[in-house]
Amino acid sequence: MRPEIKEYNYDWLMGKTLKAAAHVPMGTKKETELTYRYIPYYKNIAKTFIDAGDPGVQALKMMSRYYENILTAKEQGKKICATTFCNSPVILYAMDIVPVTFEMLTAIGAMIWKRGMFDYMDFCCEVGMPETSCSSQRGALGAILGGLSEKIDLVICDTPGVCDTNANAFAFASEYLNKPFFQLNYPSSIGDDRSQKYHIDDYKEMIKFAEQHTGKKLDYDRLAEALAEVDKQDAMIADLEDMLMLKPTPVPPMFNLVLYAGRFCFSGRREYTELLESMVKSAKANAAAGISGLKNGEEKLRMFMCYIDHYTLDVNFNHFLEDRGIAHVGSILTRNFRDNNKYVEDMPGSAYGIDTSSPDAMLDTIAQMNARLPMVRSIRGPYDKKGMWLEESLVCAKMYDADCVVYNGTPGCRNTWGMVKPFARDMEKHGYPTHIMYDDAFDDRVESWEATRERLDEFFKIRGLL
Amino acid sequence: MNVFHDAANQVEFDSITQWKKEGKPVVGYTCSYAPAEIFHAADILPYRLRGIETDGMEVGDTYFGPFICSFPKCILQLAGKGKFSFLDGAIITPGCDGMRRLDECWRKAGEDINGIVPDYFYYFDVPHKSENHGMAWYVEEIKELIRSIESHFKVKITNDKISAAISEFNKGRRLLAEIENLRTRDDVVVSGTDVFAATVAGTVMPRDEYTKELKKWATALKKRKTSLSKDKHRVMLVGSISDEIDLFELIENTGKAIIVGENLCFGIRYEGNEIKEDGDPVAALAEHYLGASVCPRMYGKYKERLAMLKERIVRSQAQGVIMQNIRFCDLHGAENALFERDLEAMGIPCLRIEREYGPHIDIGRMKMRINAFLERMESSEKRAAASAMSAEVSVSA
Repeated sequence: MRPEIKEYNYDWLMGKTLKAAAHVPMGTKKETELTYRYIPYYKNIAKTFIDAGDPGVQALKMMSRYYENILTAKEQGKKICATTFCNSPVILYAMDIVPVTFEMLTAIGAMIWKRGMFDYMDFCCEVGMPETSCSSQRGALGAILGGLSEKIDLVICDTPGVCDTNANAFAFASEYLNKPFFQLNYPSSIGDDRSQKYHIDDYKEMIKFAEQHTGKKLDYDRLAEALAEVDKQDAMIADLEDMLMLKPTPVPPMFNLVLYAGRFCFSGRREYTELLESMVKSAKANAAAGISGLKNGEEKLRMFMCYIDHYTLDVNFNHFLEDRGIAHVGSILTRNFRDNNKYVEDMPGSAYGIDTSSPDAMLDTIAQMNARLPMVRSIRGPYDKKGMWLEESLVCAKMYDADCVVYNGTPGCRNTWGMVKPFARDMEKHGYPTHIMYDDAFDDRVESWEATRERLDEFFKIRGLL
Repeated sequence: MNVFHDAANQVEFDSITQWKKEGKPVVGYTCSYAPAEIFHAADILPYRLRGIETDGMEVGDTYFGPFICSFPKCILQLAGKGKFSFLDGAIITPGCDGMRRLDECWRKAGEDINGIVPDYFYYFDVPHKSENHGMAWYVEEIKELIRSIESHFKVKITNDKISAAISEFNKGRRLLAEIENLRTRDDVVVSGTDVFAATVAGTVMPRDEYTKELKKWATALKKRKTSLSKDKHRVMLVGSISDEIDLFELIENTGKAIIVGENLCFGIRYEGNEIKEDGDPVAALAEHYLGASVCPRMYGKYKERLAMLKERIVRSQAQGVIMQNIRFCDLHGAENALFERDLEAMGIPCLRIEREYGPHIDIGRMKMRINAFLERMESSEKRAAASAMSAEVSVSA
């Protein structure tokens, strides 16, 4: 790693940057404009969020708060747990553990910093991780392995059985840093009694592990409160999902990103509820006025992202969609598969419900909720089997009336790259023009954003979509 | 010995032809976590799928994406070219993400190329943990596999038959363990290439025939006197899946090294351990196949694997370790780095190489790096000898 990078604690640097960004919109419009002149490298990303109105400002505050929690964990006597985006933080918060989600932190850094997370990604390779492993972990993990972040106390990942490269990054971190490790493991099926039971057994083991390494018992009253908050949040998510089905959709493309980012960071916490309230209010206002959530007001195309979005500098992908008039009708990350969503009606056994009537009911709830987080839900088994990637994508593409389907991931995603070609062909057979992006969602060095943009434009043009 | 090399170097060989002539089925499997004894118990030949004899990648590349290890691509390529036409069935296991997607890619290729998907095509779901519910899941998977084989092949797999199969496989395991012992001696009488060929052969040959041949060979080896290890570096080969005899030859043909042990998916690491012959045979199989954390797919078990590797290094008197990973095999790639860190700290020289599986297009590069590593070993051994001598001189002075 370059010496100058080692001069700064990454968590502190990013935390302070976000804190400052969250303060920018607190001034007058003139003061905000003036501030932009002094932050040329951050102007575009700050402006993107601030121009999104109150939901954007709430999102900035939420990200700032996420870092604040990490930076103050030790002085509050809390343990820090490295975990994945597809492991719900609800249980960790209920146990007073501060989650550090590698993929979230990598995405934040990649969007904000002109130099991206390159130095940190490369540092992982310096200490032995293969360069072919997933960039989404390598970014934040590089800072942690380099001793440039708050020290983690334990590692819990839930991707074994779903994503080798993800699980492997966490296992490597645990060994490299000599920290205790727990894996939640998923079978290749979902919704059947046998796998449901496996989820619960596994989840109970995870709680034991967390209790052992934090010295704290799970407080079921606190868990009940958190799940009640999740219940509220899920109702608002379902509202937003319903509005995504409208034509034109009143939901701006940016809301997709913020919706799942909030869920990964603050599920069951007031911070996320406030963000959702703001998003629902804004989208409902658009819906009442019958206008599109796109800035130019005209929805020319509806696109379903069958995997993840693109997170590099200044959320360029988001601007691209806005400029072209493309409505983003969700991705694998957006959907939560709560039983109050319309799209689950066509997929029996795919959803979870919330029951806080007893400790066992709560454990069942949270285990099933966790098993339905993105990725671990639908790419755990053969893609064309019940409840898996193809079925989910077809249901969503149909229900959200998508004109096309786009795959984006990272070269590290061994799992989807092992099946995306036949998957895309099957989507085409069902009538959905499907494009495979060959970039890296977190690393513009793999394919520059400009090249990615050209290829997307080419797809839309050749297929007669735009 | 030739019988083993024939089996190890050819996709289809005499024993397979003979087996098929007798009207008996062959089922291919992809991973060391599949209990081969179950097939043997049903008089089905369990055949470990390999990627040897691949001479192109047009089928593999059509269905798999670009960022996938070349091993499953080679298997798909061979399937697409009809090289596995003798198979009556195939079992796909989620050994790793690349390998488990062979399930869809093979089936989908079968929609385009007639007759390449065997009638019996089964997904065998192996968990990533061996404790409690993980083990219970795996036991249930084995039982389900038994039911499925019974139903498709119209056979009955009783516990007695499974126990007999375990017993037969154990004979081979014991013989391999005896051969492994020969490799630990100061004077090693058998090359790593030959032992590896014999091990790979055990995953594809009819087991009775294999045991018979192995017994003959082990007896002959015990009488051998000529040392193959004199003036050679004793090395161990570890890492990603490999069924490539030529990879062993590449190292041993330098004339400077002998492979005294390996820790590979196809190697002795599994074959050397016996399975319990008393009690519930399905539980015994589960304990053996899932319980031993030999593959980095079993996350969080690095320390156990390191301890096992250290023990084998000490036993075999290996002076250095060559660690290879196939490109895009992140599991072994990352674990090799940890092994390197920990073994080098113990003073064991390590070489880490990333490579392609299959036709050795990077043979020159591999040779150069292996030779450089062996030179490094030589110079460090000389330095160690010199410093020992100078310490002796200063003591006597």
